Amino acid sequence: MENKNQYWRGLEELNNDPKFLAGKKHEFAEGIPLEEVFTEEDGDLTSNRRDFLKYFGFGISAVALAACNKTPVKNAIPYIVKPENITPGIPNWYASTCNACAANCSILVKTREGRPIKIEGNADSPVFKGGVCGTGHASLLGLYDNERLRKPRIKGADATWQAIDKEIPTALASSKNVALITGTVNSPSTKKAIAALIAKYPQIKHISYEPFSYGAIAKANKESFGMEVIPGYRFDLAKVIVSFGADFLGTWISPVEYTKQWAKNRSAEDKTMSRHIQIESYLSVTGSNADVRYPIKPSAETAYLISLYNKIAVLAGAPSLGSLPAVELPVNGIENTAKELWANKGQSIVVSGSNSIGAQVVVNAINSLLGNIGNTVDLANYSNQHYSDDAQFASFVNDLSSGAADGVIFYNVNPVYSYSESAKLMEGIKKAKVSISSGSNLDETANLCMYNTPDSHYLESWNDNEPKAGYFTFTQPSISTVFETRQMQESFLLWAGLTTNFYDYMVSNWASTLNGDNWTKAIHDGFYQASVSPVSASFNAAATNGVEASAYELYTTNTKKLELKLYTKVGVGAGEGAHNPWLQEMPDPISKVCWDNYAAISHATAKELKIKDGDKINITFKSGKIESVPVLVQPGQPNNVVAVAVGYGRTAGGKTGLNVGVNAYTAANYSTSQMHMQVDVKIDKAEGSYELAHTQTHHTIEGRAIIKEASLGEYIKDTKAGNHDHHKSLRENGNLITLWSERDIKGHKWTMAIDLNKCTGCGSCVVSCNAENNVPVVGRKEVLNRREMHWIRIDRYYRFRTKDNNFITKEDDYNNESTGVDFENVSVTYQPVMCQQCGHAPCETVCPVLATVHSSEGLNHMAYNRCVGTRYCANNCPYKVRRFNWFKYRDNDQFDFNFNNDLGRMVINPDVTVRSRGVMEKCSFCVQRIQAGKLKAKLENRTLVDGDVKTACQQSCPADAIIFGDINDEKSKVREYFKKDRAYFVLDELNVQPSVAYMTKIRNVNEELVHEKGHSAAKHEAKPEEHKKDEKHAEHHS
Amino acid sequence: MKLSKLLTLAVSILLSYQLAFADAAEGEQLYKANCTACHAINEKVVGPALKDVHKRRESAWLLKWIKNSQKLIASGDPVAVQVYKENNESPMTAFENLTDAQISSIVDYIKKESEAPAAPAVAATSPTAKVSADTNSSNGGGFYTSGTYYALLVMSLVLAIIVFVLYRIQKVVESLYEQKEPAAAAAEKAENVSWKNNRLSFRYKLFKKHPVVGTILVSLLFMVVFGLLGFDYGNKEIGVQKGYAPVQPINYSHELHAGTYKINCLYCHSGADKGKQASIPSASTCMNCHMHVQAKKEDGKVSPEIQKIYNAVGWDAEKRMYDPSKPKTPIKWVRIHNLPDHAYFNHAQHVKIGKVECQACHGPIETMKVVSQQRSLQMGWCINCHREANVDVANNDYYEKLHANLKTEGQASITVAQNGGLECGKCHY
Repeated sequence: MENKNQYWRGLEELNNDPKFLAGKKHEFAEGIPLEEVFTEEDGDLTSNRRDFLKYFGFGISAVALAACNKTPVKNAIPYIVKPENITPGIPNWYASTCNACAANCSILVKTREGRPIKIEGNADSPVFKGGVCGTGHASLLGLYDNERLRKPRIKGADATWQAIDKEIPTALASSKNVALITGTVNSPSTKKAIAALIAKYPQIKHISYEPFSYGAIAKANKESFGMEVIPGYRFDLAKVIVSFGADFLGTWISPVEYTKQWAKNRSAEDKTMSRHIQIESYLSVTGSNADVRYPIKPSAETAYLISLYNKIAVLAGAPSLGSLPAVELPVNGIENTAKELWANKGQSIVVSGSNSIGAQVVVNAINSLLGNIGNTVDLANYSNQHYSDDAQFASFVNDLSSGAADGVIFYNVNPVYSYSESAKLMEGIKKAKVSISSGSNLDETANLCMYNTPDSHYLESWNDNEPKAGYFTFTQPSISTVFETRQMQESFLLWAGLTTNFYDYMVSNWASTLNGDNWTKAIHDGFYQASVSPVSASFNAAATNGVEASAYELYTTNTKKLELKLYTKVGVGAGEGAHNPWLQEMPDPISKVCWDNYAAISHATAKELKIKDGDKINITFKSGKIESVPVLVQPGQPNNVVAVAVGYGRTAGGKTGLNVGVNAYTAANYSTSQMHMQVDVKIDKAEGSYELAHTQTHHTIEGRAIIKEASLGEYIKDTKAGNHDHHKSLRENGNLITLWSERDIKGHKWTMAIDLNKCTGCGSCVVSCNAENNVPVVGRKEVLNRREMHWIRIDRYYRFRTKDNNFITKEDDYNNESTGVDFENVSVTYQPVMCQQCGHAPCETVCPVLATVHSSEGLNHMAYNRCVGTRYCANNCPYKVRRFNWFKYRDNDQFDFNFNNDLGRMVINPDVTVRSRGVMEKCSFCVQRIQAGKLKAKLENRTLVDGDVKTACQQSCPADAIIFGDINDEKSKVREYFKKDRAYFVLDELNVQPSVAYMTKIRNVNEELVHEKGHSAAKHEAKPEEHKKDEKHAEHHS
Repeated sequence: MKLSKLLTLAVSILLSYQLAFADAAEGEQLYKANCTACHAINEKVVGPALKDVHKRRESAWLLKWIKNSQKLIASGDPVAVQVYKENNESPMTAFENLTDAQISSIVDYIKKESEAPAAPAVAATSPTAKVSADTNSSNGGGFYTSGTYYALLVMSLVLAIIVFVLYRIQKVVESLYEQKEPAAAAAEKAENVSWKNNRLSFRYKLFKKHPVVGTILVSLLFMVVFGLLGFDYGNKEIGVQKGYAPVQPINYSHELHAGTYKINCLYCHSGADKGKQASIPSASTCMNCHMHVQAKKEDGKVSPEIQKIYNAVGWDAEKRMYDPSKPKTPIKWVRIHNLPDHAYFNHAQHVKIGKVECQACHGPIETMKVVSQQRSLQMGWCINCHREANVDVANNDYYEKLHANLKTEGQASITVAQNGGLECGKCHY
């Protein structure tokens, strides 16, 4: 083989794990589960000829009995009074705001016959530009959650709102110290409603609480600039991005907004790319996309920040912070970073994910020294997206347990689950005279409260949010309340003694700014941009006092000890997504594990502790213990750091999240500067082992060159760098044999381009596809059986280096101790894979019933009702994108997710068939959207223009990495992409002529990445006759 | 001169006679076209009953009123104001386009009708009631009502019980006989040879001599019976039910509405040119007309079928207003044309773009008192049409682009099939 594989699906592959080897031989994890059907309880296969005859006989009589029935009568029930704006069969779109997290992205909600069925990005929004994350897409399921509270409750018994409104004001009036605990509240009208409540009951104080807090940023900014806000970060204006553990492409503050900004500077065609340096304690989505990544221990973060400051200070001629010895990363990482930052002063950005005020003050000092304040760090257009007052919350919990506070209102927060000192809080709530929870489900907190006043889902509510200063985004209901719920703002107003409803209240608040048509326009558009006044902020140097000594001490005392790092996962997040089957089944971008959290440990540490993948461990720290958590040996994980995701291990709030993973919040150290970490932890092996359900090794593709990459330097020299495909040249010369006759498509030819440079692997497309195409959730057990149903998957490849900086190409390198693999430094590439809609599709050839055939528009159609389930097509698919329905996933208690109840099924897209057991399915390029787009053009009597048809994955991609369109349309964007020198087809040598082109990944690094042996400049050994055939190659080498 | 005078007189008499004749005919036509929406001769609809209106009001007043009642009211005419107040202040449509002669012809017609006996007039204004009676007789019952099912069930149960009782009696008698006369019984038993030993019996020949043939025959019999039943059921299950004409909750006649009154299909099925579903009209759409058209019967009651609409929307026919206290109950129409879930059909594509007549798929709907499924709706039937129908390329800019490519190949027009209309994924996704 000419191209030796350097890309690995995981350590199992690198290590030639026997299980992996066994698995990769077979297309399907298991044979047909006949045993399950016919086996008796004693485990013997008892079925025989007689049984067969019995079943046969039963079958005949069943048909006969069925034949006695009358034809089922289907009713068609029209509206009594048809709403003017609803035409059955035609979707209505409403502009609204996502409230799945406090980032508050502007969204569009697609409704059919009054049911919201899909969330998409609002492309007109100047801040979010049409992106939505996976969590946002999945928040739709919360509306149709069968376990939502259906009516208010008093002391555990169902009650009426009248009773609630009678009792609560009395209870509030009689208590002397009440706290209203909310998440981030950035809605001006909600704030005003809260103020009205506080005006009526002055004993109420409002405290913002976020389980995975970013509160330190605002506090640090208050100390540094006198403004208690999170600044508006502008990654699009930065040429150098340095992030200390801030996962801004995955989970940090406003990931969709930041991904849009980040992706803007990642097109290789501009020949300039931003340089992204990540310094972090676990392999995050952001870290996996960085050009340079340094793994560090969490305790060392502030020390490195101070060293970075001091290095820049030397270059700037400014005084350094203290005089303690500098700490340095391998290969002079800090010094090089400092030089790069200084060279791009005013056009660089430093951020930190730490919740230590000290660390954030140093970050401010660096940005201020670099002149980034006002440029890439915008204090005028500051962010209101996350606000949390950690100290105030901690002191309230103390008051509540001591009896100094006697009442509490929880507005959509669940601290009994997420607060690190949960026991103290529980005890306090039990003591309180009045406790109210607005949780939509009976979660850990709601269970303890006297009053449950279920809040309406945001798709049933009115609201106005101000996620960024001056940028207002409105929430309008796209459905009336499904149950007897009431949005909490209405309750605030009622309890405050006001009689207006919240909508009127909101309108009157806006009356002076937006009225009449302006108001209608704002609601129609979903947002309103007001002007902001400029801010001139100067850094207060005194803020850094005392930071250095403590940081240095933390660094030195812990150099040799094990540490614990807590993080949030894309999807489940801080725990809000735990009861959401779409999010649980969405594979983690890095580990590809679904339905669990785990302890990520580096290869060296695992070896040292003598633990391996699948072992269970106990993690003991000063204030407690996380018990029995499964181990995942994670490349890229720093040595001596164990990373565990929060948000799992829920004990209430919905069955989907129960018994999934372990709760790591117990280690959160909420009220200290070391909030998301524990220093000095002990790890010991626990009883038993556990198999994590990951999709990582599924759908294995033998070691072929399916990832192509080059460094920016190589690309500038040669735009085809990394993409001199041998086989392509063969085809151009007509030497490649094909079984099929060539197709000549004259009308539309639907094609897709995927820019590997931009894809961050966030998984938004996966959830979007779930919603659009009625993809069923199969659960942990079936994922273990490799039967997940996702139509689009994001493959993640690792590239390892040896200690002497060569890429590992052979398996034996790994076992050879002397070569030594650097598992801490790993290069990650993501590749979204869906059906490639091959022109010469191997699946079509083998289908015995012609259930999958080619269309005149270049699509590979799949007729479910023709499919008899031979699975030959899946077997013959080189891309492993076909999915088989092993079970009926609806109305089946084995798969007790949203397809198992009437309410949950409301989310089904009526334009897409719900597949039944025994048929094959796969990505259709959203053929329903293609047909709808064409129909719209026909009805409007015009030609189809580029952008009329957008696939579900493309529409909401926060990085704009997916481009879809008609390649025969000369003006289409996808045509442009196909012409790029970076464009390549995966497994091109098979000549199946896929319709999906991938763009070579270009990294902004100063090293050689191209690994094409035959074409890399240094090692070129191609035969001369090949050059004659291929002029383009000759050009390149001349 | 006398002759000429006489002639003139004769002609004028003739003319006036003809005019009078024309008056009656024209008056009836005009009355039906313009007045029946709100008026009837004998009872109050929206406006008052018109019987003997020529006696109550002067013809000059009537002329002014009909031309523009609002103007008359505004002028302060006391009679006009009173009439206006008596009728809930709902203004009468102005008929400024009617000539004086036309109005007087209408009045003449009312005069004629007022003098005629009451019954025929009522009958003339309630065709719906008549039709509903017809449909009741033609469609009422049918064999497979649930009542017959229960009767059959009870009868078979009774029969089964009788068979069981008789069988027990026989057994008891036999055992008594054996007890009393054991010898005779044994002898008889020995004599009574089973068919298994009777070489002449048909059963022996079939099952003992040629067991294979026998088994095959019996199996075939079963297979044919159950196969037919199963096939029929299966077909119905997947929507192959040509001729299906279920009883609808309201005896609505397409013959009357679409045939006689020529109401445009799209007036009620307003989604047909917009999207996927043609959509069954909401009850409020029915009310647009039936707020006024009540098809009252002799006893002065609203037609029972129209009353069903009123019940659905909560309309009080007496007070002529929506009664919020009445419950609103949607009408559960029975779906006749059922496509399977895996087939995507879009009405707009066919009606608006393909310009296919409704009748092409739904049959002569304007002649149906009771709608029945006229086409099989099987895939073969769809495909046939797609093979034959041409795409209207010239009149749609979208197709023009596709056509431009085909033109170079010397094709004047393309069929739906050539446009990809036979591909699986055009309808199945």
